[in-house]
Amino acid sequence: MFFKQTKGQKAFQVFNYCLLGLFGFATFYPFWYVLIASLNTGRDFARGGVYLFPREFTWENYALAFNDSRIFASLSISVFKTIIGVVTGVFFTMLMAYALSVKTLPGRNFFTFFWYFTTVFGGGMIPYYMLLRDLGLTKSFWLYITPAVYNFFNFLLMRTYFNNIPNELRESAELDGANDFAILFRIYLPLSMPVIATIALFVGVGQWNDWFTGAYYQSNQDLIPAATLLQKLLNEATASSNVKVGQESSALVMQSYTSQSLQMAFVMILTMPIVVVYPFLQKYYVRGVMIGAVKG
Amino acid sequence: MSKASALEYADRSEKSRRRKSLRKQIAMHKWLYLFIAPCIVWLLVFCYYPMYGATLAFKDYDYGLGITGSPWVGWAHFQEFFSSPDFWIVTKNTLIISGLKILFGFPAPIILALLLNEVRNRRFKRVVQTVSYLPNFVSWVVVVTLMTIIFSPYGGIVNTIRKANGLESIFYMGQKGSFYPITILSDIWKNAGWNSIIYLSALSGIDSQLYESALLDGAGKWQCTWHVTLPGIRETIGIMFIFAVGGILNAGFDQILLLQQPANMEISEILDTYVLKTGLNYGRFEYATAIGLFKSLFSLFMMVAANKFTKRYMEVGIW
Repeated sequence: MFFKQTKGQKAFQVFNYCLLGLFGFATFYPFWYVLIASLNTGRDFARGGVYLFPREFTWENYALAFNDSRIFASLSISVFKTIIGVVTGVFFTMLMAYALSVKTLPGRNFFTFFWYFTTVFGGGMIPYYMLLRDLGLTKSFWLYITPAVYNFFNFLLMRTYFNNIPNELRESAELDGANDFAILFRIYLPLSMPVIATIALFVGVGQWNDWFTGAYYQSNQDLIPAATLLQKLLNEATASSNVKVGQESSALVMQSYTSQSLQMAFVMILTMPIVVVYPFLQKYYVRGVMIGAVKG
Repeated sequence: MSKASALEYADRSEKSRRRKSLRKQIAMHKWLYLFIAPCIVWLLVFCYYPMYGATLAFKDYDYGLGITGSPWVGWAHFQEFFSSPDFWIVTKNTLIISGLKILFGFPAPIILALLLNEVRNRRFKRVVQTVSYLPNFVSWVVVVTLMTIIFSPYGGIVNTIRKANGLESIFYMGQKGSFYPITILSDIWKNAGWNSIIYLSALSGIDSQLYESALLDGAGKWQCTWHVTLPGIRETIGIMFIFAVGGILNAGFDQILLLQQPANMEISEILDTYVLKTGLNYGRFEYATAIGLFKSLFSLFMMVAANKFTKRYMEVGIW
């Protein structure tokens, strides 16, 4: 298509580029700002005026964060739960997506509906909590894994992908005597890498970011993940700022510099893996969402 | 015969050709049932059992007796909730926050998609898109921490600029007056980019011949947008609207939970956070369950109503 550019349209184009440029900047800058702030000494940062680059460069905030035993322990929990969550999530989603992509399976629509229904109606937070408690999950690491193994959206994504794999492949493998387990892992798995990558990332990012489960359902404080710990630090810091603002007594202010610096380093440690991984995998994510949008 | 019904016919005749008894069919697919079994168990335990647990809303919970054995009390918990002043405050807060989000947050990704669609420089477009999706991948706890640092009275950029202009520092995160702007803006900041994907994909699906013929008919840019582009994504807008209305009582649970401060509590307490507090912090399981159940049913009702509405006026629906 081709439009003749009138003056008004040219003005619109300029306006549009400026607006989108501004939006992009406003999205990116907060990350950059906290990154440089975390690389600046806390005392100097609190004077204000650090905008684009660190003024008094230092790694000490990161050293502080990694030497904090709570932070280190919570990061290990996060890493473990992300890895185990991804492996189990992808494995069980694959089984389910494969089974329900076989069109001759009796009861196929019933199973899909049986699952779909739980996405529009649920028992609510409290009965769910009581269940977790009665199963003993509230004191266990498996709290992060077992209840989060399946996700209807991820299942739909993978099933849609499997539906597009020609049925003949399955049928001929069946004639050669392969069972469904072999078909799934020898034929479907190698063909489905893009969708597996997408789902692995959805699950991984979800696991890494989830702070709520750790904060409200986990009763063993040694098992809280990094995102939950960040929330706790944030709460402590804001609670003390609430008291301190205005009355700038030096000891208290000094203390909040350090806690603020620690927070900045910690929040960057939590964000970095995502920022680093994200650009490489963007195309998978976007495609995944579009498949879901069209067929979901 | 239309293509679809021809296919259906072929499918059916094939089925009748290979018709076997159901038992044989099931035996043939035994592996598949093995694959499905863990999910069914999981659904029964983690989704359907809590639905049964929701009967607690009509009971007086006794730890020793369990959910099944606890005595029934009828609608008592609902009556208590509906007649308490908290009901009005919490429901009002939920609806105000959701309403503001629908009013400002719902059109944001549509506008963003329309603007991106006008960009001809592919590189620029890709950079803006890549950047704008990023916040979707970080946790709300990260977003709120970033905001706390940016708005910090100790060297945060906003207060530094205020001070440089002779104004005094404001503790934005702990101040009632800035709660709504912070909530709405951070919601747009985090979600608009990612949500625009779905509209962009709908936009790319519009037949370019429609634009060509509109141009031949002498339509200008704005007329094209109004008569071709917007009708082209109407269906997507409708479906997203149904989901937005269905989630009206959610109001962005974990965002709100993180933004709550003693100072803004009277406008920031929403249904979900209230359930959490009465249930987990004060241990009033039955009462909190009743509120949660009220919320679930109301959401379902809203979703059905929104579906009816869009079906009638926009000819799209999810059912």
